[in-house]
Amino acid sequence: MGFVELVNVEKQFGKHRAVDSFSLEVREGELVSFLGGSGCGKTTTLRMIAGFEFPTRGRILVDGADVVPVPANRRGIGMVFQNYALFPNMTAARNIGFGLRASGRPASEIAARVQEMLTLIHMEEFRDRYPHQMSGGQQQRVALARALAIRPRVLLLDEPLSALDAKIRVRLRTEIRSIQRTLGITTIYVTHDQEEALSMSDRIVVMRDGRIEQVGTPSEIYNRPANGFVAAFIGSSNALRATVLDPGQGTLDVDGQVIRAAQASAAAPGQPVRVAIRPEAISLHNGSATNNHLKGTVTNVMFLGSIVRVAVRCGSVELITDVFNAPHLVIPELGSEVTVGFAPEACILVGEE
Amino acid sequence: MTAGLAVRTAERPVSRRKAWSALWLSLGGLYFFLPLLATFLFSLRGKKGVLSFVAYAHVFRDPQFLKTFTFSLEMAVATIVAGLALMIPTALWVNLRLPRVRPVIEVFALMPFVIPPIVLVFGLIRMYSQPPFALVTSPVLLVAGYVVLSFPYIFRAVDAGLRAIDLKVLTEASQSLGARWGTTLFRVVLPNIRAALLSAAFLTFSIVVGELTLAVMLAWPAFGPYMALVGRDLAYEPAALAVISFLLTWGSLLVIQLASRGFREQGPTAGGVH
Repeated sequence: MGFVELVNVEKQFGKHRAVDSFSLEVREGELVSFLGGSGCGKTTTLRMIAGFEFPTRGRILVDGADVVPVPANRRGIGMVFQNYALFPNMTAARNIGFGLRASGRPASEIAARVQEMLTLIHMEEFRDRYPHQMSGGQQQRVALARALAIRPRVLLLDEPLSALDAKIRVRLRTEIRSIQRTLGITTIYVTHDQEEALSMSDRIVVMRDGRIEQVGTPSEIYNRPANGFVAAFIGSSNALRATVLDPGQGTLDVDGQVIRAAQASAAAPGQPVRVAIRPEAISLHNGSATNNHLKGTVTNVMFLGSIVRVAVRCGSVELITDVFNAPHLVIPELGSEVTVGFAPEACILVGEE
Repeated sequence: MTAGLAVRTAERPVSRRKAWSALWLSLGGLYFFLPLLATFLFSLRGKKGVLSFVAYAHVFRDPQFLKTFTFSLEMAVATIVAGLALMIPTALWVNLRLPRVRPVIEVFALMPFVIPPIVLVFGLIRMYSQPPFALVTSPVLLVAGYVVLSFPYIFRAVDAGLRAIDLKVLTEASQSLGARWGTTLFRVVLPNIRAALLSAAFLTFSIVVGELTLAVMLAWPAFGPYMALVGRDLAYEPAALAVISFLLTWGSLLVIQLASRGFREQGPTAGGVH
């Protein structure tokens, strides 16, 4: 049984169904990310857990108790908002101590907890600063400390890093993950940034149109996407249209060239299927006998620093391949004939067409 | 050479704009201060041939002056308290839960401009002069009338203050930290719209202290009717009274501002209608 459970949760706004048949179990101490594009229902789901929206149908349980009838201020669920939401009239220390003051804790306890939280976020010297005297990253750390100061049962983070610049985002996500692990707090993290979700989460919930598309560890989501949407949404992938030759052997016809997938196909011979292959799983000039090979012509080369992205046209299919940059790397020329290779394990069958 | 020219042409409009700003600001200042200065100078001519404060001495010796001003001051404070008590929850509700009601409130806010105070006061007298609502002899009715008159100013000031802060997120953040509505209102919302609340209080104060129609028709010894009475019978004293009332009003507003400092926790606050 999960520490946070959502059972067939549904949310309707007028005629629009924002969240549909959402069921999930989040284990105690786990960090689960809701990942999806704009309007996929991830924030609405988070707000229902926080108590700011009420589900049209379904149950939300925290530690076995249904929290739907419980008002937001009595749920014991801390929340960090996208735009920090620090109280502008209070210093960092008073912001952090606000929840404790609101619940009438003794002054000595508040002072000790505020100090503990400031130490946790390495911002002891900022205790008397007002929000407008701090940078975005500092404000978000204070917001995190404020949410944690009340010792919540669950921590919710609603795109907490999206308003920050790239470098601070990377640093802060490491810091959030480290604090979450140290405290062992059950956390639900909403993001539209796949890199953030992949690097921080124990599990990821990929969402589309209010529904769950796939739940899994970052590795499962990336390497074994459940369908074409997840394959396309997470990372970049080549989508190949193929025809099944032998479902048991996994052999497929791609524009007249035969390839083999490690995964057996459920489709009958002659049926069309879609195959996803990650760009980094495709290599140029690969002579391994166990690999699939396709012949093609280089149509584009992009130098991206650590990698070189090469586009190869194989008949009607254009494959993108990422090659790690190295001093000895020979970058193929435009129009040159090349052979691309990829392992059968790299072919992910993402649903029949 | 070219760069120098470019800088000079870019500078010229800026300096011209500054000159225009200064001109209009000076004209505005003159429009505001010249009548005050003229009134002040006129008030000093109570004694023939010399400038003196004799008219001021007459005003201060009149017991009616202090009595009426104190009464209007009390009514102004009561109106500010009642008006804010009514408008803060209304504006909060409109901003947080019922934004669709805003046009209705906007229409209500226009009413005091459309319906003249004389019509309002006759309506009040007619409605509240007999049981079960015999309130015509109670100052409550006067305050109620003043609340109606100051409704547009209070609502707009509070509403502008609430719209200037991220109200929804701040209230949600407060709730997620375990705060009740009272705590959220008094520790988070109100301190952050302090400037807007002060604006509302200032405007209400000015309206109430100088108000004539409601006070006369409901027969209350307010400052407005007193000023009208003095102005009808005397020459220099009304001018002295105008200057005194101006200073008293600004002095009272200063007191409100100083008093409100204890109410906040410091830091920047959202402005309202100034």
